[in-house]
Amino acid sequence: MDVKVLHTPEGVRDIYGDELQKKLKLQTALMKTFRSFGFQRIATPVFEFFDVFSKEIGTTKSNELYKFFDKEGNTLALRPDFTPSIARCAAKYYMEEDLPLAFSYCGNTFVNTTELQGKLKEVTQAGVELIGGDNSDAGKVAADANVLHLAVSALKAAGLSDFQISIGNVGFLKGLSKEAGLAPELEDAVREQISNKNYFGVEELILESGIDKEKAEGFMKLTELYGDASCLTEAEKLITNEQSKKALRHLQQVNSLLEEYGDGDHISFDLGLVSKYNYYTGILFKAYTYGVGDAILKGGRYDSLLSCFGKDAPAIGFVIPVDDLLSAMNSQKLFHNEKQQIDLLVYDEAMQLEAVKAADALRKQGADVMTSLYQKGKDINDYVQYGYRNLIRKLYHLTSDGKIPVYDLADDSPDGLPVDNLELSDLIGK
Amino acid sequence: MSNNDRYLTFALGKGRLANKTLSLLEQIGITCEEMKDKDSRKLIFVNEEQKLRFFLAKGPDVPTYVEYGVADIGVVGKDTILEEQRRAYEVLDLGFGKCRMCVCGPASAKDLLQHHEMIRVASKYPNIAKDYFYNKKFQTVDIIKLNGSVELGPIVGLSDVIVDIVETGSTLRENGLEVLEEVCPLSARMIVNQVSMKLEAERIRKLICDLKSVI
Repeated sequence: MDVKVLHTPEGVRDIYGDELQKKLKLQTALMKTFRSFGFQRIATPVFEFFDVFSKEIGTTKSNELYKFFDKEGNTLALRPDFTPSIARCAAKYYMEEDLPLAFSYCGNTFVNTTELQGKLKEVTQAGVELIGGDNSDAGKVAADANVLHLAVSALKAAGLSDFQISIGNVGFLKGLSKEAGLAPELEDAVREQISNKNYFGVEELILESGIDKEKAEGFMKLTELYGDASCLTEAEKLITNEQSKKALRHLQQVNSLLEEYGDGDHISFDLGLVSKYNYYTGILFKAYTYGVGDAILKGGRYDSLLSCFGKDAPAIGFVIPVDDLLSAMNSQKLFHNEKQQIDLLVYDEAMQLEAVKAADALRKQGADVMTSLYQKGKDINDYVQYGYRNLIRKLYHLTSDGKIPVYDLADDSPDGLPVDNLELSDLIGK
Repeated sequence: MSNNDRYLTFALGKGRLANKTLSLLEQIGITCEEMKDKDSRKLIFVNEEQKLRFFLAKGPDVPTYVEYGVADIGVVGKDTILEEQRRAYEVLDLGFGKCRMCVCGPASAKDLLQHHEMIRVASKYPNIAKDYFYNKKFQTVDIIKLNGSVELGPIVGLSDVIVDIVETGSTLRENGLEVLEEVCPLSARMIVNQVSMKLEAERIRKLICDLKSVI
């Protein structure tokens, strides 16, 4: 046999057994929380026209998209994330709707990352998008705070308790850049250095550009303005321009709402939190926890995205990379005894009909039961061992005389003896 | 969130860089006696009192350890940061290990850099070379990755020029090569994992502040 057929390509993998149980449980908890906040599930295609994820709209570099052609020669791409697809849906199906639309999603996304960096190319993302609604400042404060409240609630529902959501506002840096009169290329370069917290890189760029020292101070301090809400007050002293001030006021308002919601413990601020992409228009945020080297939730406001699809509406959303959250929770040991709750009923050949009826009776009581004909030449101990290997909870053996010895495999100290002896009549009557 | 019981882990690039980093850390009261024992075959060194751990790694691997968060802090040359393109915060220029990344070659190769003609470039740093020629000079080049003694490239005729680190330039001169263009200045940098920067904000901020005062 060719052993190559057993391998999966680099960057994708099989998930099975209790790992998949944990992942599904996590996804269910997240989706349930999204649902409880009124976000409706939406499903979009795995691949779409390339233009939907193009440079102007998406945040994934063209050379990292999986691209291919349809029979007519159109370029198609596997989705690298959900946001453009959902924006497209909102524009297509709800063009006239001017009250808010709340969508949630969960599915796999594909990014063709560099080899040998240990990164997955197929990852599961779960997230929400809140599109449309009140376009005023007050409306945005309310929407931002509510979405952040959902973010905190979702991570808590997943079972996480030690996490921090760091919030920034791109308006702050934009205001500074405008005031200092930075050219767009320089602004991009400065933004990148700030996103790397590279104080010296920022200093170098600013000094080279010949901006006067007083104005430059805001930029230099930007890499240090992070921490609790006091950094917002700190920042206020450094700036004079209206746009930056407005950005700070916005963050302060969001903060006081979140304090009232009881989320204050999980909230911090980072004015140097900026995105490499010119995609976000207001607040942006990332959540961090121990045990994983990257953010476990990312999001922000992107008010100009919908206009790419012809609908003028504000929007905010976030995404949770489920695989990263899962590995963080694994390393924090937050899963307890996640065994499969499946029972196995094996039966002797003469009992075919009774076995299915007995299994149906057990299912009615709420159990998940697999039925299987007792294989000739196997010992009951073979089935007990099989049960342990495959995380079976209970093993029923229906013998030809109508007796059902029951083995409890969830018990960690097995002695190989049945814990219970049922009669067929106990389950299906005479 | 308080995490007093959590260790802060440093990944240091082996060699001179690690020694200089340790003496710098000593100046701000961070020591690791275990590491001074030259005969030790240990891979990880611990300072129980200050809850610190140190390990030595090959330079190019330091950003990898930091990106994955298995080290909170790394010290590594700017060349490695540029070449590896890992996600980490670059928070401090430690000021030592100063040198330059340069395009070098025989004087006759100078002309080849003036036009957009296709040339061959040998380098240990293919990503840096590519970025410089493609995005800054808009020159299409053929890049050949070498693993050492890059100066050989133009001498034996493998490449037209090289992109390499220049400290004093004596190796170049002895081999009839010279600096043709400077790509960027280099020095040792401190990098920090993005998550650690948030979750260990106070400890790391203090460390950066202390280091700034002695640099």
